[in-house]
Amino acid sequence: MELIERYLQAVQFWLPKQQKADIIAELSEDLHAQIEERESGLGRKLKEAEVEAILRERGRPVLVANRFLPQESLIGPVLFPIYTFVLKIVFLAYLVPWVLVWIGMMTFNSTYRAHQLAHSWFEAVGSAWSSLWGTAFLAVGTVTIVFAVLERVQAKSHFLENWDPRKLPAVRNPHVIPRASASFELIVNAVCVVVWASNMYSPVTMISEIRISVSPLWPWFFWGFLLISLANTALAGVNLMRPYWTTERAAFRLLSDAAGAALFCWLLKANILTGFATANVSPERSVEITNLINMWAAKTFPFAVGVCIVIACANVYRIARLKTPAPGLTNAPSLGGVR
Amino acid sequence: MIHTMLHRVEFENLRGELRRGCLVLAVLAALRDEECGYTLRKALAEQGLAIDEGTLYPLLRRLENQGLLASEWREQDKRKKRFYRLTGEGTQILEQLLGEWRDIDSSINAILAKQGARSWN
Repeated sequence: MELIERYLQAVQFWLPKQQKADIIAELSEDLHAQIEERESGLGRKLKEAEVEAILRERGRPVLVANRFLPQESLIGPVLFPIYTFVLKIVFLAYLVPWVLVWIGMMTFNSTYRAHQLAHSWFEAVGSAWSSLWGTAFLAVGTVTIVFAVLERVQAKSHFLENWDPRKLPAVRNPHVIPRASASFELIVNAVCVVVWASNMYSPVTMISEIRISVSPLWPWFFWGFLLISLANTALAGVNLMRPYWTTERAAFRLLSDAAGAALFCWLLKANILTGFATANVSPERSVEITNLINMWAAKTFPFAVGVCIVIACANVYRIARLKTPAPGLTNAPSLGGVR
Repeated sequence: MIHTMLHRVEFENLRGELRRGCLVLAVLAALRDEECGYTLRKALAEQGLAIDEGTLYPLLRRLENQGLLASEWREQDKRKKRFYRLTGEGTQILEQLLGEWRDIDSSINAILAKQGARSWN
């Protein structure tokens, strides 16, 4: 029965060296016993197709062998949820910003766009795609290796089994604003308003012995920033008094952040610095440095846009969460009248 | 149609889970008398507990490694066969497992009886 020998050889290939002979002898005996019984029932030798059907029923050799192997996993069930959680963080905190920055650079940075589009759009997208895959592969690979090592350590030391219920974090209500955070925001915004209003109005400022002059557009930025800071101070004050988010206040925060982001992005592109003067820098060098600063400010524009989008998304998410009834913890602290 | 198929798959998965533990008990119980793999498989199938060879042989190997079974290669009907039997430790474990089995059985029956009484009232 050549077919049986071939089948057993294929099973044997996947078995551990020390047990090969023993397992194959037993499987061979079982197979021959089954065939012999079938043959005595039929009163004749089995045809090749009938033997083939028996082997097919027993399953693919690698699967048959696999049942004799110890159950192994690169990352086991204890660490797997943490592993997928970390992968999600890597995706959200690294790969998504990467894509956003690339889109920002292609949209707003003409030098970068010209360099990328030296040949064609197709090549530019292909090159970014392969670069993204390289980055993603490296990130996912690194996380996987770290968790595979942790799995081995955990299997030996069982470090995850030692835990203290009292060290678990307090029940978190995403709609509640911690008073410490509201107080901090209030202080920072109030200080900003005072310092800004008292020192930054003039388009010419003296810092130490450096005389800095900015563009005539400066008053627009000055008043815009002052208004936003005042609005944020007021919001932080209300948040301190009534420490939970409402849809109205979350929408207000979204508007103020959007206005601040727009103002800041505009500032980066506005060539706001017109010059500076100091004793030990020549006027020509001063012009050079001014141009360089404006150029680098303009170059950071795509990154600033990326950061602004992330902030806007966080604000939109907060509003969406407020509009969705929170599931789960029935004993969570009450919001005390949150709408 | 799809619902029926999903229901069937779900049932098969749960049935597999339920049978897994029972098969260990059945194999240990059947091996109070010495058997070789193939005759054991046939005996279990005749009692309504069909088990495929891909499940049986790795299980026998695991139980032997745990010291609950002992095996021996012997010639019978002009063929070398491996015979398994319960060890002393295996006998003790089997008695404990049968105790557990009876407890589970009576608990399940008690739950079903209670629910039956509630639905009749």
